[in-house]
Amino acid sequence: MIDLHSSRIIVAGGSLSGQSAVTELIDRGFAGEIVWITGEAGGVYSKPALSKEFMQGRVSLESILLPAIDPCGANLKIIDGSRGLSLDAQARHLQLDDGRYFDFDGLLICTGASARMPDFALNIDNVLPLRTLEHALAIQQAVRTKPRVLILGGGLIGCEMAASLRGLDLDVTVVEMQSSLLERPFGGAFGDYFEQLQRRNGVTVLTGQSLARLQTANGKVTGAELADSRLLPADLVLVGAGSIPETAWLAGSGLALENGVVCDDTLCSSVPGIFAAGDVASWLNPLYGVRMRVEHWTNASAQGRAAATNLLAALCGDAPGIKSFGDIPYFWSDQFGLKIQMVGWHPGHDRVVVDQPEGAPGPVITYFRGDRLVAAAGVNASRAVMTFRRQIEAEARRTVLEPADA
Amino acid sequence: MKIMVDRTKCDGNGVCMGIAPEVFDVDDELYLHVADPIPDDPELRARVRQAVTSCPILALKPVEK
Repeated sequence: MIDLHSSRIIVAGGSLSGQSAVTELIDRGFAGEIVWITGEAGGVYSKPALSKEFMQGRVSLESILLPAIDPCGANLKIIDGSRGLSLDAQARHLQLDDGRYFDFDGLLICTGASARMPDFALNIDNVLPLRTLEHALAIQQAVRTKPRVLILGGGLIGCEMAASLRGLDLDVTVVEMQSSLLERPFGGAFGDYFEQLQRRNGVTVLTGQSLARLQTANGKVTGAELADSRLLPADLVLVGAGSIPETAWLAGSGLALENGVVCDDTLCSSVPGIFAAGDVASWLNPLYGVRMRVEHWTNASAQGRAAATNLLAALCGDAPGIKSFGDIPYFWSDQFGLKIQMVGWHPGHDRVVVDQPEGAPGPVITYFRGDRLVAAAGVNASRAVMTFRRQIEAEARRTVLEPADA
Repeated sequence: MKIMVDRTKCDGNGVCMGIAPEVFDVDDELYLHVADPIPDDPELRARVRQAVTSCPILALKPVEK
């Protein structure tokens, strides 16, 4: 048991999970010092909006900024724009990249993930990823000249960007290595649906194609050559190649790292008193019995709060107060005015049921593992999807699945 | 407690509906319906407040009556 008045908790990471963690510490009346290291300067913003409303030009920058935290009398020190440089987990010592360092009693790691940029895409003008506000602003700047756009990767970011930029009347081509679009988030069960949706709206879709090289002139991209030697001219190339959890600064810290910070079902890392939340956390989800790392909005918010609550319980020596964190993942995608929603965790499913409701713009698909419903997705079908969510959760709380390879 | 919806922002993403389905309901035209009044249950109200702060486009605003 330690005296919480004289204790210090560091929250590393200034996106949604970090903000949620700080808010929870304040709401629970934590009496010690909170040091919030934001990493990215300038406040918290809505990441889902970057490829959706913001890219479509429907909302302003101001309207996607989250309100600043009200400290309500808490001892909150915000270090804006600095990042963790290194950590000694056993000594409870964190070094910042601005030269400062802090000892701590508790640490919440909420450093998120960054865009994966393949080597071939580095240091070429007009070749950009989309992950941060800075990226989004750079893309908005680049599209003013009405470039021909080539999108590498037909995942969530790639397909949303294609839809949003097509809405600005740009010429857009998507190249995807897999045989169908959005295979990872939706498991391929939507088959040709997404491809037809993109095509119908004027996007050129090339699936099952890989890139041989980018072509440049004077350091600027001019196009791409595919593995089958086809040439695609382009003035702007957007890379949607997934993300990498931000754990480089934790190398040598003593924390177990593997596809993120390895956490148990309470979001505690391999070292007591250090918890993780959001895109950086690889945790054992008790509702599925598998380890997962979820990169979606609602998970970041809920995990930030849960990790903060559990850390406080740990610092108080309140073992029963440290609760398992179970979550039914949820995300949505906006494409061409349609809302595509997914609840649950489909990796490891062995059966799908495809339903085509009359008058609906797309299918409603349910994913099963054995007899158990594990995920559901639909197009403009919020009520159906949310009803399935309750069923998924009820079944999950009844039976624990055997671990499966995701 | 009443929830105001900014209709110029709300796009029916369903985040609120996932957190407090007793209060928030997005129909298949992506229109959000909000229960009014909100039942006087502390646990539910906590979730409603969580739904408000979880809206990714800040379209919800609580008004204490």
